[in-house]
Formats: sequence, structure tokens, C-alpha cells
Amino acid sequence: MGTQSGHQARHRLRADGLRLSDLHPGEHGRILEMGGSEHFRIRLMEMGLLINDSVEVDKFAPLQDPMEIIVKGYHLSLRRMDAEKIRVELVKPDE
Amino acid sequence: MSKVFSIAVAGNPNCGKTTIFNALTGTRQHVGNWPGVTVERKDGRLVYREQTYQVVDLPGTYSLSTYSIEEIVARDYIVQDAPDIIINVVDAANLERNLFLTTQLIEIGRPLVIVLNMMDMAYEKGLKIDTETLGIILGAPVVPVVGRTGQGIELLKEKINRVQTQISEKARYIEIPFQRDIETQIEIIRSALVQSGLPLANPRWVAVKLLEKDERIWKYLTDFPEKNHLREIVAGAVAQIEKIFKDSSRAAISHARYGFIRGAIQECVQNTIVDPVDYSRKIDKILTHRILGLPIFAVFMWLMFVFTFEVGAYPMAWIDSGVSWVVNTLYTILPHSMLTSLVVDGAISGVGAIAVFLPNIFILFFIIALLEDTGYMARMAFIMDRVMHALGLHGKAFIPMVMGFGCNVPAIMGTRILESRRDRILTTLINPFMSCSARLPVYILVAGAFFPQHAGTVIFAMYLTGVVAAILSGKLFSKTVLRGKSKPFVLELPPYQRPKMSALLLHTWERGQIFIRKMSTVILVGAIIVWALGYFPRDVKYATDYNAKYTHLKQTYQNQQVSVKQAFENSVAAQRRQYFSTMVPFRSSTHYQELTNQRDSLLQKNTAWYRTEVVKVDYAKNAEAMEQKWIGKLGKIIEPFVAPLGFTWREGVALITGFVAKEIVVSTYGVLFGVGNMATEQNPGIITSLKTSGMTPLIALGFLVFVLLYTPCLATMAAIRRETGSLGWTSFSIIYSLSLAWLLAYGLYRIGSALQWLS
Repeated sequence: MGTQSGHQARHRLRADGLRLSDLHPGEHGRILEMGGSEHFRIRLMEMGLLINDSVEVDKFAPLQDPMEIIVKGYHLSLRRMDAEKIRVELVKPDE
Repeated sequence: MSKVFSIAVAGNPNCGKTTIFNALTGTRQHVGNWPGVTVERKDGRLVYREQTYQVVDLPGTYSLSTYSIEEIVARDYIVQDAPDIIINVVDAANLERNLFLTTQLIEIGRPLVIVLNMMDMAYEKGLKIDTETLGIILGAPVVPVVGRTGQGIELLKEKINRVQTQISEKARYIEIPFQRDIETQIEIIRSALVQSGLPLANPRWVAVKLLEKDERIWKYLTDFPEKNHLREIVAGAVAQIEKIFKDSSRAAISHARYGFIRGAIQECVQNTIVDPVDYSRKIDKILTHRILGLPIFAVFMWLMFVFTFEVGAYPMAWIDSGVSWVVNTLYTILPHSMLTSLVVDGAISGVGAIAVFLPNIFILFFIIALLEDTGYMARMAFIMDRVMHALGLHGKAFIPMVMGFGCNVPAIMGTRILESRRDRILTTLINPFMSCSARLPVYILVAGAFFPQHAGTVIFAMYLTGVVAAILSGKLFSKTVLRGKSKPFVLELPPYQRPKMSALLLHTWERGQIFIRKMSTVILVGAIIVWALGYFPRDVKYATDYNAKYTHLKQTYQNQQVSVKQAFENSVAAQRRQYFSTMVPFRSSTHYQELTNQRDSLLQKNTAWYRTEVVKVDYAKNAEAMEQKWIGKLGKIIEPFVAPLGFTWREGVALITGFVAKEIVVSTYGVLFGVGNMATEQNPGIITSLKTSGMTPLIALGFLVFVLLYTPCLATMAAIRRETGSLGWTSFSIIYSLSLAWLLAYGLYRIGSALQWLS
């Protein structure tokens, strides 16, 4: 419940939707759109991050940046500024 | 003699590619660099059924797009050198992402053998993989392997052999199918390529690459008759795809490849466990914990430091005494000649001074191999990225920076853990500012002489100045000469693995031998140059008659010895008369014993005095000689350059010899002041001489700043040359550090003088 309302609050922070960097550890997000340069988007694809994929946020580093996500069953680390370019929607773990 | 076939091993980072390469080639390996770039290249040989294979380990890449040097190197090798077989190592536990590279290898169309590595981990994850069907879909034999235990390696060799010898086993070329709209455009470009009559091995692959806006592919099209026309066709096709998919053509093609992979996985992989235990994740709950993560990391770094430099100090001392023993022995055996001096003082002492670092370097490389093979290295980058990012660097750059406090040579060689060349160069350039342990003796000597009350503070300030110089220079470089495209930080955190001792030792040796091979040549030359500067010219005109001094000393010594013996005889004669009446023989009396002891100790004291006096004359003579040797003349030549800092020619000479190794600055001072070349920090002679030489505390502080920042030692320069692969960057580093040292020391001296501070 707490995370749900937290999500609502975070969601309201941005006019154009939730970002991967907004998710809390343990939350799952489905990728809707990837921004940033083409280089960046291709690099993410090469690492297995595709539109419509679900990813789980595992944790944030002790100094709060970067963050660790689980995608296609493996662990990947991204800087928050990069994760901010990825628009997601909150989904339930099994979706 | 049959033909030697070539094999290229390709795969993602962390897929166990190196393990497979090692399993195939054993210890028959050669480590070098790919021509023109500092990407490590490993070559090995495999002999199977009397057939020899030349095996090349390609750099680990996630893709064959050409964004990184590693990808360019790997792709150029596959396309231009056309290896007879490509072995694609795939992490079975992480199949979907790993197969992305596989689809690109399939497109190129060289004979392919796919190795499904880490089958044990896939099994633990509950994945059942139908390798037979996967092989059919991918059009290449698939061999399940557990690289860590060697399970399946024999089968792999068998498959390699059969792919090479039996046509029926040859990989059948399949096409990765794209959506109809993409296929249409590929076909348009492909037929344009075919019609041109250019002999392309695989026009479809070239067409796909053109659609992906791959600029490097034009390299193969230099002979294309109407390039502008082709460019127009490509631009039209790209626009068409982008209109349909509302995304870049590259993204659309990447999506299509993943579509193919998903289909293959649905067909061949069964998930038998719904929620497998992720052991790595459990370990990471502690090691990268929000609060515990940093302290644990600090402890690991501290342990690494302690092991490298404190445990390494024991073998270091052995090597040191070994070198001294060899030097002394050779001196007694060989006749005194120029050749002896060249070999002993120049080559052996010079190289020996660097050889003492070998234990440190091997221990450090072993620890780095351990961190890499267990998977903790990636976590270190994860934890430290925030700090290093502020400097425009990758998280992993933290390790070489800390190691720089020990010795810059292994630290700079440690920059190999960084993936981007820009990061490697940047970290290499700022590393010498991390004050290495060789500079400590200089600080202790000078700070001890001029700031006896605050020596600790001054030394700490030196370390701090070094760190600040490194940070500011890093910022400056990343804003100017090394601007470059900053790569997005997308780092895989691979599962933790139990390391294998044999692999650790192999990796340690691979990196360590580079140090032995390359450094010894450079150091040898440098040491001989410095030796020659101090050895020539041979005819020195002394203002003082040292021979007379020696003769006088010897005379005094001998006279004293004689008088001691005479005094003893007199006492004995006097005492003996008293003993006449007793029954005890005088010579066995305690009284006689006392007298002999007294005599012997006086004789010994006298000899010791004589030896020190001779050494003092030696030193004085040496100091006078130095002034007339090339090195002294060089010191005089550069005097005008260092005079604005308040330095004399002596500082100039000390700094020049410091190029070989910075601790030599101390012993040079010893020689120059004529107080001994084995000067220690405790040697009062050198401290007194320094104080009376006209150096003020302010100048001393400037001198320390200069020693901290100026051109790194020869071994470090050689390491910079090796790791940047460029004389340009090496000269840049030398000039930059020299200028920075000069400017800061000058500023300190000028401002300090104006404020009449520390004068």
C-alpha cells in the first residue's frame, strides 16, 4: 500500500510519466519508451533492455547512484541520469 | 604438414570466454595488444588429432556494432582475417541477451560453433535447453560445456575438428529473418550491391549494416563505382523503415533480432523452476548493502593495500639483499674496470632497484584477478561510481587510483580493467600524482630536517596535495584534451563465482610478465644512462689532495695502534712484577684478561674510527668529483631553470636522478653533500648538510611539492608509454607534470617570499 501511494506521489512529480529511476527497490516496471541518444538506446538494447520488457529494480548503490536492475534474469547497473531517460509503467511482478 | 586453421573465440563479457580459451589452448598462450590499440590480444595454439589450430581470443563484446574499440577490433578480425571457425561462447544461464551477439555472428556467415557455457548454472536456474533444436534453428553445432570443470571440452574439440574436416557438419548458413518491411529494404540495397559486381563475401550482411547506418562498413566499399548513388539508396531505405516503425532503423533491426531470439528460446528452453534461488543476489544483499556496502568495500581495499605492500615487503627485502649480495660479490671477484662498473653499478643496481617492485606487482595482479574472477570487481565499480563519476570517470577507476599510493607502475598497468580507452588514458595521466611509497623517504628526510615539529603534518599535506592535483587535473583533462563522448554507464553485475587457482595464476603471470619483459629493457637503458652521467669524464682534478689525506689518516691510525699496543706491554710488565710473589701464573689471572680486553677494545675502536674517517674522505672526494662529472655539469646547466624556485644545482642533480626512481633523490643528496650514498632518513650528516646548504624551510617545502608532482620515474613513464600505446600521451604526461610541479613550486616560493613566510 505504502509503495502504491508513494508511486502515485512520484507519478505526480512528472508531467510526462514515471521513469525507471523513480521506481523503488522491489518494484517492477514495463518499459514504454526510451529517450536519449540513439547510441544510448542501441547500447541498452544490446544489453537486453527493450520496449515492452519488464524490469525489476533491485537496489540503489550505497551512495544512491547508480542503481541495479534485473532484466532478462541478469543484473545490470545504470546511472540514475540514464535511467531517467527510460519511461516505464508500474506493473505487478508476474506481468 | 597440414594447413594451420584459425579459430576466433567470440562472446559477451562474463560469459566464461577466457575459461574456454584457456581450456582449448592450455598454457600455450601469448598476450599482446591488437595493432594500434591497447586492447589485449591473446593468441594460443590447439593441437587436436594432429591438426594445429591458431586460436585468437577476441575482446568480450555484447554486440558487433562499432561503438567501442573492442567491437571494432572483434569485427574487423572476423571480417578481414576471415578465421576458419568462429567459436561463440554463450552463457547458457543468460541465453537471451547472449544470443544477440550470436545473431550478428550468424549474419556475417563464417563457420560457427556455439558453445553453451555454464550449463551447470543454467541447470541450477531450472533451465532445460534442447541443444539439438537450438543448433538447427541457429544453423550451427551447439556444444554444452561447463568451462569451470572442463566438462564438454573434448566434445568441443571433436566438433571443431569435424566442422573443419567434414562438409556435412559444416554450419549451414541461415539468414536471420526480419519483418517484411525490413526485408524489402534489405533486398533493394543487396541487389544494388550485387549489380555493382563488387566481390563481396556476404552482400546481405553488408546491406543490413548499411541499413543500420554503420559508417565503418563503407571501408569495404571503397571500390564501389557509384558511391553517392548507393548512399542515396541507403538513405531512402532507412527513411522508409523509420517511417514505418517510428523508430531509428538500427533500433528496428535490433528489435527484429531479439524477435528471432525469443522464437528460438520458446522453441528450445524450458523453465522448470518458477522462482530459482539467486545466490548471488543473497550475497549482494550484504556486500552492496545500503549501509554495510561502503565499510565492507573499504575493508577490502585496505586488505588489498596491506597484502600488496606489506606482505610484498618481505620478498622485496629478499630481492634487495639478493641484489646487494650480487653487487658486493661481483665487486670482489671482478677487476675494477669500466666494464665492471657498467655491469655492477649501472645495469645490476639499476635494474635491481626496479626488480624489488616485482613482488608488489605480482601480488597486486593476483588480487585483481581474484576480484575479477569472483565478480566483486563489478560491485566495486557499482559502489564507487558516484565518486568517480564526479571526475568524469568510471567506477572501476577507483582501484588504480588507490593503488597509486603504493606504486604507480602496477597501478597504471591496473588501468587495463577499464573498458574505455579514454578512461584508461585519463586514469593513467592523473595516476602519478597519487604519491607513491618511493616518494616517502624524500618527504621524511626533508620534512624531518626542516619541520622537525610538524613533519607528520607536512607529509600528510603532500599526500593531500597529490590527491587534489589528481582530481583537478582529471577535471581539466576531461573538459579539454580528453573530452570525448562519455559512454553511458551500463555495467553487468555478473553472478559471483568461485575462482579457480590455475586461472588466477595464469592471469597474474600474463600481466606480470609484461612488466618483466618491457620494463627491464627501458629500465636497463635508463639506469645505464644515469650511470654514465655519473661515471664520465674519468679525469677529475681535485682541489684537495685526497691521497695526502688518506696517507695521513693511515699514518695516524697506525701510530695509534702502535701506541695502544705499547701501553699494553708497559702495563703488563708493571703488573707482572706484582704477581711474581703469588703462585698464580700471571697470564691466566683475571687481571691479565682485563688488560687484554681493554687493549682489544681500544684497537677495535681505533679501527672503526679509521674506517669512518676513510669513508668521510671518500664521500668528500666523491662529492667533489660529482661536480665535475656530466651529471654535475647537467645540474649546473639546469640551475637557471630551477633557480627561480630557490633551488641550487644540487637540487637539480637530485631531481634528475629522481627520474630513475624517486627514492634515489635521497641517496643523490648523500653523494652530493659528501655524507654517503647509503644515506638513511636517520643519517644526521645529510640533515645537517641540507640545513647548512642555504635551503630555507620555504624552499624545502617547494622542493617537496616539486618531488611530489614532477615527471614520474622511469618505470612509471615506461608504464604510461605501454598503457597509452602512444609517445604523444607519454610526452604530454611528462611535460604536464613537469610544468605543474614548476609552477606550483614557483608560486609557493614567490608568495611565501613576499609574505616572508617560513624564511
